Amino acid sequence: MTGHAAAQAVFWYMGAASVASALLAVTRRNPVHSMLWVLSLFMHVAGIFLLLGAEFLAAVQVIVYAGAILIFYLFVLMLLDLPGEVARPRFGRHWPFAAAAGLSFAGLAWLARAGARVSPPADRAKEVAASRGSLSEMGRELFGPFALPFEIASLLLVAAIIGAIVLARRRSATP
Amino acid sequence: MIAPVGAILGLSAVLFGIGVFGFLARRNIILMLVSVEVMLNAVNLSLIGFSAQLDDTRGQVLALFVIAVAAAEAGVGLGLVIALSRNKPGAGVADLTDLKW
Repeated sequence: MTGHAAAQAVFWYMGAASVASALLAVTRRNPVHSMLWVLSLFMHVAGIFLLLGAEFLAAVQVIVYAGAILIFYLFVLMLLDLPGEVARPRFGRHWPFAAAAGLSFAGLAWLARAGARVSPPADRAKEVAASRGSLSEMGRELFGPFALPFEIASLLLVAAIIGAIVLARRRSATP
Repeated sequence: MIAPVGAILGLSAVLFGIGVFGFLARRNIILMLVSVEVMLNAVNLSLIGFSAQLDDTRGQVLALFVIAVAAAEAGVGLGLVIALSRNKPGAGVADLTDLKW
């Protein structure tokens, strides 16, 4: 039982830390500091994934989000080299409206979650989770019923690669 | 069940709201894109919360697709930012008024 209480304490810590990291990430003046807070957010969310039994997605979160996407953002940020960014205002003049929109969305979603009456299938929940790993189960889903969306996702990534190359190419290279 | 599904959905809602605020309020294009990543992460969190609660792996599969879309969005979005900054240095949205009349 103490293990369960400890896991719950870890969950509440992860949740509080991810909310704090997200808030700091969208409010810091220096863009590099924002990126590092987003890194902290991704790591804490990966911890929550681990607690919820999604080990593979926790690994993907760390490798793809924290390892690839965020480093890509940092590269572009340092490539552009924005010296005046720290001196400029962080938010537009309309930021109170933005805060109101964010707060009202969060409030609406908070209220809507009361309508989500989801309860686990009573008896099979425990044994299924124990007998099969989440990764093999996921592989079965990906190559079974989700085979077509999986291929479409790979097509999407190829299209994104080609689009990024075309967009970021030097203008002089165009024929 | 370590965490009640309501707590996970509430956390996801709060993170999504923070992302909405960041996207609407920041004036730097790169940080706006990062706010979109925060929102996508919040969605992933709720998908995995449902997946754990319903003991169904399909939520995790959908979260994997969301991660793929996030990677594609980052690639195309940052390509756009580089192309923009080549024409007009800086990454402020307030400077991009060429289509305004």
